[in-house]
Amino acid sequence: MKRTRLFLIPALAGLVGLVALNHDHVPLFSAANSSVRAGSKTPQVAREEEGSAEYDVAQSVPSTDSSRPKTDASGAKPSPKVDETALRYFARQGDTRRLEAEIARLRILYPDWTPPVDPTAIAPQADIALDAMWKLYSASKFSEVRKAIQEKQTAQPGWIPPADLTARLELAESREQLVNASNLKQYDTVIRIGSSNNSLLTCSDVDVLWRVAEAFAQTKRITRAKDAYGYILDNCTKPEERLATVQKALALLDRNDLDALLDREKPQTGGGMEFDAIRDDLARKAVSDAGGDATMPVAQTDLARVEKLAEEIVEPSDPLILGWYYLSRNDVQAAEKWFKLSGDRAKSASASQGLALAMIAQSRFAEAERNIYEWRDNSDSARAVYMASVANLLAQDPPVEIAPVVLQRMVPEVVLAKDANAAQQLGWYAYLLNQFETASGWFSTALEWKPEDEPSSYGLVLARQQMGDLTGVAQIQRRWAGRSERIARLGEPGGRQQGAVPLAERFGATPQQSITSALPAGNAGKLLPPPSIADRVANTIAQTQTGNATLPVSPRKIAPETDRETTAEPRIARRSAATGERRPPSGCTKTIDAQMLSPERALPHGWCLMEMNRPLEAAAAFERALLSSSEAGRSDAAYGQSLAYLRAGLADKAAVAASKARQQQSRQVELEIALLSSRATEAFNAGRMPETILALDQRARIAPERSDLMVLRGYAYMRLHRLSEALRVFEAVAATGNKEGLRGISAVNSARKRDY
Amino acid sequence: MILRTVTTLIVFLLVASGVSMAKISSTTASIQPTDWSSYKARFVSEAGRVVDDANGNISHSEGQGYGLLLAYLAGSKADFDLIWSFTRTEFLLRDDGLAVWKWDPNSKPHVTDANNASDGDILIAYALSLAGSGWGRVDLMETAKSMIGKIGKLNVLESQKRLLLLPGVAGFSEQDRDDGPVINPSYWIFEAFAEFADLDPSTDWNRLAKDGLSLLDASRGGTSSLPADWMSAKMRLKPAKGFKAEFGYNSLRIPLYMMRAGVTDRSQLEPFRKGMSPDGSNVAIVDVSTGSATEMLSDPGYTIIPALIDCVLDKTKLPEALTTFQPTVYYPSTLHLLSLSFAHSQHPECL
Repeated sequence: MKRTRLFLIPALAGLVGLVALNHDHVPLFSAANSSVRAGSKTPQVAREEEGSAEYDVAQSVPSTDSSRPKTDASGAKPSPKVDETALRYFARQGDTRRLEAEIARLRILYPDWTPPVDPTAIAPQADIALDAMWKLYSASKFSEVRKAIQEKQTAQPGWIPPADLTARLELAESREQLVNASNLKQYDTVIRIGSSNNSLLTCSDVDVLWRVAEAFAQTKRITRAKDAYGYILDNCTKPEERLATVQKALALLDRNDLDALLDREKPQTGGGMEFDAIRDDLARKAVSDAGGDATMPVAQTDLARVEKLAEEIVEPSDPLILGWYYLSRNDVQAAEKWFKLSGDRAKSASASQGLALAMIAQSRFAEAERNIYEWRDNSDSARAVYMASVANLLAQDPPVEIAPVVLQRMVPEVVLAKDANAAQQLGWYAYLLNQFETASGWFSTALEWKPEDEPSSYGLVLARQQMGDLTGVAQIQRRWAGRSERIARLGEPGGRQQGAVPLAERFGATPQQSITSALPAGNAGKLLPPPSIADRVANTIAQTQTGNATLPVSPRKIAPETDRETTAEPRIARRSAATGERRPPSGCTKTIDAQMLSPERALPHGWCLMEMNRPLEAAAAFERALLSSSEAGRSDAAYGQSLAYLRAGLADKAAVAASKARQQQSRQVELEIALLSSRATEAFNAGRMPETILALDQRARIAPERSDLMVLRGYAYMRLHRLSEALRVFEAVAATGNKEGLRGISAVNSARKRDY
Repeated sequence: MILRTVTTLIVFLLVASGVSMAKISSTTASIQPTDWSSYKARFVSEAGRVVDDANGNISHSEGQGYGLLLAYLAGSKADFDLIWSFTRTEFLLRDDGLAVWKWDPNSKPHVTDANNASDGDILIAYALSLAGSGWGRVDLMETAKSMIGKIGKLNVLESQKRLLLLPGVAGFSEQDRDDGPVINPSYWIFEAFAEFADLDPSTDWNRLAKDGLSLLDASRGGTSSLPADWMSAKMRLKPAKGFKAEFGYNSLRIPLYMMRAGVTDRSQLEPFRKGMSPDGSNVAIVDVSTGSATEMLSDPGYTIIPALIDCVLDKTKLPEALTTFQPTVYYPSTLHLLSLSFAHSQHPECL
């Protein structure tokens, strides 16, 4: 058994017990301490914390009398009279745990002492009362020992309990107090008791050492915590306690400190090192954490360790950790390799999802779709990955042939997810195959899921033009009058070449947007188009595929996605402030002249039309409702009209409408935010970049900038050749994990190259 | 019994209030051994835990403090050490060196709430200081001093030119509550403050006692002449929010504490006697907002208190039924022994 021990030397060595409570009243580090320190052979550690804490940890090998606690002042070295009462009592009781602890304790107190060969051989105690005290002691009934001592002293005045008994009793009580305080997270108490009872801090009671170490760590005395854990690893030998020591430190120390502790490991008899398993877990955790945070650095040694584990242990989990790590670092080949290995060992949603993402990143969309299809219902994120595969597969340039079976299984998924982007891509896909009627169906569906979507409307108007449906074309053109130049100019000389697919639309929606965009919630399926239409569309596409869909294309250019602006629209108030009633969703299917309605009836009619997505008619109804006699009614009407114009993309009219009646503060702000978003988008689409920036700046003063608007800002800066500002914005977007940001960064970089 | 001799009293005057406060310096037992034995058998566990049998057999710092005080007054060093060992290892856990307030036999760990209760701390420190000086025990005295310093530092504060005792370190101050500071007048254990004043100069314990008596004066004057258990001292004293506005189990011990500390002033004691014992024998729990009694208590541990006021003010002998001790329930039985101890040591003529 080792004779070293951990000293927690109280700074105020002269004070005993609870006097240390008053430490905040007295100067730290009185001179009384120096004599105690002089006895310890190793130098003090943890200097940097001395100013703020009142205890030192020192590791000491007591080899002379002066280094012992509770030593006689004389310093003379007569053979000490060692009280072996307790030792013999425990031996007779067969209490080997306490016997060992007592031998350890006496050895620390008396280094020259050797334990008796047979502690049980001695005749039993003659003192029955004392024997009873030891019995109570070994039953941990310490308060009853106290009582028994006092009773014997009362019965037998002048009797003094053996010093060994009182010392052990004091220690045992302190230990209880320390453990109770530790359970209650009273860490100062733990340290205070540990400091004034050094005999508690031995390998025979490693739990106390753990608790003291924890108390140091929890009170930000990290160096002392490290010393305490290090003391155990340097001195204590029981393998399970050593392992538990490191596990306890895991939760409290940072990686560097932990590594320093791990370095104190011992070689194992069967090969390997003592803490290999812990090092493995630490490496796994580091790589796994970094997989979720692209900015988190990972030590090369950790990465190498996990890769080795992934190859040697035939389990799916380690390769999976590596897959996500490499994916987060954009090393898609490596990511693919590890996801594949994980999936080969055991198929899982996570491995398939990762693999699909790695494939998407390498533009292998068909493979991605194939891999993720069976897991698409596993989670929202799996479905998002599936939809991203679908949208990308459809949006390839030049278009690739999609197997009928794949198309057929994609369509119901698009319908189920009500993914307007995928629907739009199906529209373009059909369009490229000259399936204009099918294309028209898909564009209409997309508009149903995402009303007022300009690109889908554009697709629809092109498809109608191809089908010769001039009335239909005119209808759309009227609807978009003043809001979309390209829709307006369709068919004019000098307009877009007929049949050409606008690439901005085809590639405007990136897979990453689909991954990160929220999926339609809950009631998917309620408002689906009849399945027959979807089926018909898919079938038509599948059956009539031709290989000659090559079309003239203009150089690919990057366009910001501005069509998401409609999502910025405030949610329609579900309750009327005027009536407090829920408005029925039906009741406005017939076209009614709003002027025929009373102002009170016009209000619900307006909301109803909003729900039917007929914003211009709704605006008219709200106009009528503005004549309401109640202020709440007028306020509601103005709010509704403003929302209606916003939805129709008529920001200026919306602004006017908002001012027609007093609004609640919250609505005012809400409308203001929406108006500015709308203005920014409109200005951007019209090529008025300074105005875009101005609107965004105004909006930023009252609301945090959404990432799509930041992207808009970035492109506006780019158009203004303010490249470094653009870069800064895109970097901020990229930092949120939004791939639009990365796309913007590369756009800026290529713009810079062009500038050279 | 041979052991029963008259306890020495050191009486000193609180000049400003004109109220006399007594300080006990007892070296002999004022609680009879048989009474202590029957109390102990009923309420003190083998391990030295004082059990509140009316509250799910939990223990609290107040109970441990009472146990220590009673053991000292009974002259039982063995029981004192028993209870102290348990108290130290199971209650004195807080980082500030004060006691946690509650110990539950049915939870693991037994202590889950690190809050203190200042009356428990005061009782423990008071008993330790009595035993420390009475029995010449340096270890007890050191702990007592250290606790007293912390009680003063963490639980006593000045507010509107009054020295107040907060019921706990956390939860009662101006910062903690809208109507803070909130006080509990029954936490003023007046006899302890006289002792503390000798041991700890950093808090003006005599002023705390004096201001406590003034607060009791100030709490009278509504429909009831009695204070509520929990009072807001934010502006004028009034019942604290969230507590029943009643003169309850807490407050009924106030006159006992006053008398034990040597208060004999009729104007101080009479309102309690009248208010708490409207029928002249039972003790009332009183709704202080209406002045009506909501509950009548007949346990001798409660009824001995107004009877003691009669003794102190008018030399009326205690009814015989109250002079013999039979343990009933932890709290009234504790008050009963404290009352009998007071009568034996200071008013033997009433027995």
